[in-house]
Amino acid sequence: MDLPFLRLLSLAFRQLLRDARAGELRVLFLALLVAVTATTAIGYFGARLNASMLLRATEFLGADLRLSGSSPATAEQLAAGTTLGLEHARVVEFSSVIATDTAIQLASVKAADSAYPLRGELKSAPAPYQPDTPGPGPAPGEAWAETRLLAALSLEVGDSIEVGEKSLRLTRVLTQEPDRAGNFYSLTPRVLMHLDDLDATGVVQPGSRVRYRELWRGAPEALQAYRQQVTPLLAADQRLEDARAGNRQIGNALARGERYLNLASLAAVLLAGIAVALSAARFAIRRFDASALLRCLGLSRRATLALYGLQLGLLGLLACGLGAALGWLAQQGLFWLLRDLLPAEVPAGGLIPALAGGATGLVALAGFALPPLAALGRVPPLRVLRRDLVPVPPAAWLTYGMALLALGLIMWRLSLDLRLTLALLGGGLLAAFALGALLLSGLRTLRRLLATAPLAWRLGIGQLLRHPLAAAGQALAFGLILLAMSLVALLRSELLDTWQNQLPEQAPNYFALNVLPAEKERFMAEVARIAPQSAPLYPVVMGRLTAINGEPVRQIVSKESSGERATQRDLNLTWAERLPADNRLSAGQWWDRLEHGELPGVSVEAELAKNLGLGLGDRLTFSVGGITRDARVSSLREVHWDSFQPNFYMIFQPGTLQDLPATYLTSFYLPPGRDAEVVRLARSFPTVTLLQVEALLAQLRGILAQVTLAVEYVLLFVLAAGLCVLFAGLQATLDERLRQGALLRALGARRRLLVQTRRLEFALLGASSGLLAALGCELVSALLYRFVFDLPWHPHPWLLLLPALGALLVGAAGLLGTQRALNASPLQVLREG
Amino acid sequence: MSSSILVAQNLSKVVSSAEGELTILHGLDLELPRSATLAIVGSSGSGKSTLLGLLAGLDLPSSGEVALAGHSLASLDEDRRARVRAEHVGFVFQSFQLLDTLDALANVMLPLELEGRTDARARARELLERVGLGQRLAHYPKQLSGGEQQRVAIARAFAAEPDILFADEPTGNLDSQTGERISDLLFALNRERGTTLVLVTHDERLARRCERLIRLEAGRLVASEP
Repeated sequence: MDLPFLRLLSLAFRQLLRDARAGELRVLFLALLVAVTATTAIGYFGARLNASMLLRATEFLGADLRLSGSSPATAEQLAAGTTLGLEHARVVEFSSVIATDTAIQLASVKAADSAYPLRGELKSAPAPYQPDTPGPGPAPGEAWAETRLLAALSLEVGDSIEVGEKSLRLTRVLTQEPDRAGNFYSLTPRVLMHLDDLDATGVVQPGSRVRYRELWRGAPEALQAYRQQVTPLLAADQRLEDARAGNRQIGNALARGERYLNLASLAAVLLAGIAVALSAARFAIRRFDASALLRCLGLSRRATLALYGLQLGLLGLLACGLGAALGWLAQQGLFWLLRDLLPAEVPAGGLIPALAGGATGLVALAGFALPPLAALGRVPPLRVLRRDLVPVPPAAWLTYGMALLALGLIMWRLSLDLRLTLALLGGGLLAAFALGALLLSGLRTLRRLLATAPLAWRLGIGQLLRHPLAAAGQALAFGLILLAMSLVALLRSELLDTWQNQLPEQAPNYFALNVLPAEKERFMAEVARIAPQSAPLYPVVMGRLTAINGEPVRQIVSKESSGERATQRDLNLTWAERLPADNRLSAGQWWDRLEHGELPGVSVEAELAKNLGLGLGDRLTFSVGGITRDARVSSLREVHWDSFQPNFYMIFQPGTLQDLPATYLTSFYLPPGRDAEVVRLARSFPTVTLLQVEALLAQLRGILAQVTLAVEYVLLFVLAAGLCVLFAGLQATLDERLRQGALLRALGARRRLLVQTRRLEFALLGASSGLLAALGCELVSALLYRFVFDLPWHPHPWLLLLPALGALLVGAAGLLGTQRALNASPLQVLREG
Repeated sequence: MSSSILVAQNLSKVVSSAEGELTILHGLDLELPRSATLAIVGSSGSGKSTLLGLLAGLDLPSSGEVALAGHSLASLDEDRRARVRAEHVGFVFQSFQLLDTLDALANVMLPLELEGRTDARARARELLERVGLGQRLAHYPKQLSGGEQQRVAIARAFAAEPDILFADEPTGNLDSQTGERISDLLFALNRERGTTLVLVTHDERLARRCERLIRLEAGRLVASEP
């Protein structure tokens, strides 16, 4: 008979209540609940921390979003932001010669309106080397300048300077601009003035080199909407930047942190999948009898399937809803615990993580439970007479294919990172196949060895050998759980190490630019006196790339390409005998292995080479102050831009640029509280530009500390979820073991024998899972390091502890789980059969 | 409407095994009027349960024809056969086949709920009282003795008021005294409700209580009484 949908639904609901009362759904429900709770909590935690990190990173941009270009923004582009209710500030930057009665100096001028900056702080001091304070920028008619401009032009606060045709009074010394941070190679000193005075300067004329920046601040949704509206309207010279794009150091740290959180939530999804897979199959198998009976009672195949499908759906909705709520509560609790360590302003996180968590549970349930459920429709009604009749199982590839597809879809949707998903899933799959086969053949070998073993061994391991496929499946499932846990642990320490290396305690906090050749020895001696650790002096020649293989770059490099900016401005060119310590050659040879050709060699930063379409052997022409120099690309280098060391796009073979006018550049670390010495250094070398990057370092350290914290807590979460899933999974495989135990006791086995048997069986299961996890973890981590995290891979010997750890964990969990069988009367267990 | 509730003609069942084809039933004919009682007896492996499965439409014969309550089963697909079972057939099994997760009352309510009857609860309660389990409604199968479980199964079988009841070794798992009480109950309900009863047994005493008896040996009908 076919039942109307509503009757089927109400029947499914009643059956579900009855099953629940009978304790039948506990394992599946718990597995789902743990999975959804963990995914939701990690999702929220990651999303909220990420948003709060981004919020801090926006300080480096002075805004949430920045539209910059060499032409002013159009009315339409401006109206889009205003209509969306975004806060707006405008900045115009240009180079101008600042003149006094006695001297001139090229300066980089920034004209900002009163709303600037929208994020971060502008700081100034009443006089050079005085303590600075945050506050709004200069009023119309006023200007602020950096100390080095005052030094170069012998000016004092209160004097007037000419910017174009406009005279401005210097009122304060500029000490910190939030959006200057990423740019500490800019050599000209800064002057900050009010935007209202810009027209009066007469400097900005059609065709003059000017950078217009529109700064925006507002709610994430409004910013997103703005981005969508404005992106199609962008002119070739315009770019939209957010905190990630604005600063390499921050961008890289954020991207890695985000990827890690992503990976952790994917690991949670994987755990969820395994938990559901383990318990859903049991759910279906335990319903074979019931579905045969229902068919016998006249329920059609379709109605039987629909009944169980609805039951499962209801169960899933309930568990997922509750899990999402619990996950939300868990992360609220976590943020409450961490309230002293995190900034007060942590964005709420919205509904997405809860929905994603719930959906993850439902999709995993569908992927893993539907194939075994479909088998229920094929249970022959004749099974009521002949218990041995089981439905033809669906093709294994279909079952697993569907489950994997479901898992892959969730992972991809969640991470929006196809490479990460493929590396994790593909690596996991590869590991599962190879290791499953290994395990199966291992078990078969064991069978031969077992004939002469003591009884406890024969019983314990015999239990595994009786169903080698099932045993291999269980070991694989537990192995994947251990793999997910150890992978998250492994990457955590790797990431923390990377950050630690990137920002060691004594990372350079001062950069010295414009050191004149005549002064370099005296300067370095002075620096060595106050700061024991400093980088070597690098010569710097400012030059522009003008032609590639004889063709002007403007004809070759399109305006849309990302290399275009590099051809529009002067690059810092240098020469060096040796490859800088943290650079790595990715193609070609360094000088010492190079054969002498007609042209000197140049080593190009790999990414720039890619953007400009450069390859080994290309001829580059540079223009340095009107003199041209040719060089041949002899190597490509990978550069760590996120290290606080001087880095260069172009390094020339020594002897190529020596005759051109050069200055020198270095960086050093000075412990806090030595300001007076910096002032003395600056006064004795007035032409040298000293840049303090302490503020940037502090900000970056703050962000990294926050990501580190997130990483630590997420690890704890994944470990806890993994343990729960492990227990739930074991529960799902206990039926058979309970029955065997009861039978043995009925036959007179002593409790000691049973305990020993169980101990051996679970320890072996755990040890093989651990071994699988160790091998799989190495494989997957190698893939992840290579393709996702960009880290050098090396073996992790501590993973060899995993078999012991697995034996301990699974052994303990197994013993706890089977306690019931040891304590209950065997008769009862056998009757419950 | 034919006076026969069950007609089987030239019924054969052949299964293939590793050793080749194996014939479990050889061309069997049978006709049973309404309200009759029939016992199918024979030793283990004689084909009794196979015959029961074919007669009840749980399985299809390799050749031959079964007409159950006027429906020719061979021409129906599994779902249509299920509908015939829902409308006309009840079952009692040797291993009771109660659902572990349902208490006694819910087990008896199940076929009534499938029919969508609103009086499922009252009717199930009444039937359980009739089989003497009025005090055990909320007990789960594992909390009941074998005899009690079989009584729940009988209550469930009669709940949907079937025209014909198939019982596969209904006392096979019970001691003789309990078995006696269960067969008393089965025959009493059969009389009260005019149900046709087909039972498979190797208990001669139980078989003798039926009006008709057929004996199988190696899948062949070797005796039919009267």
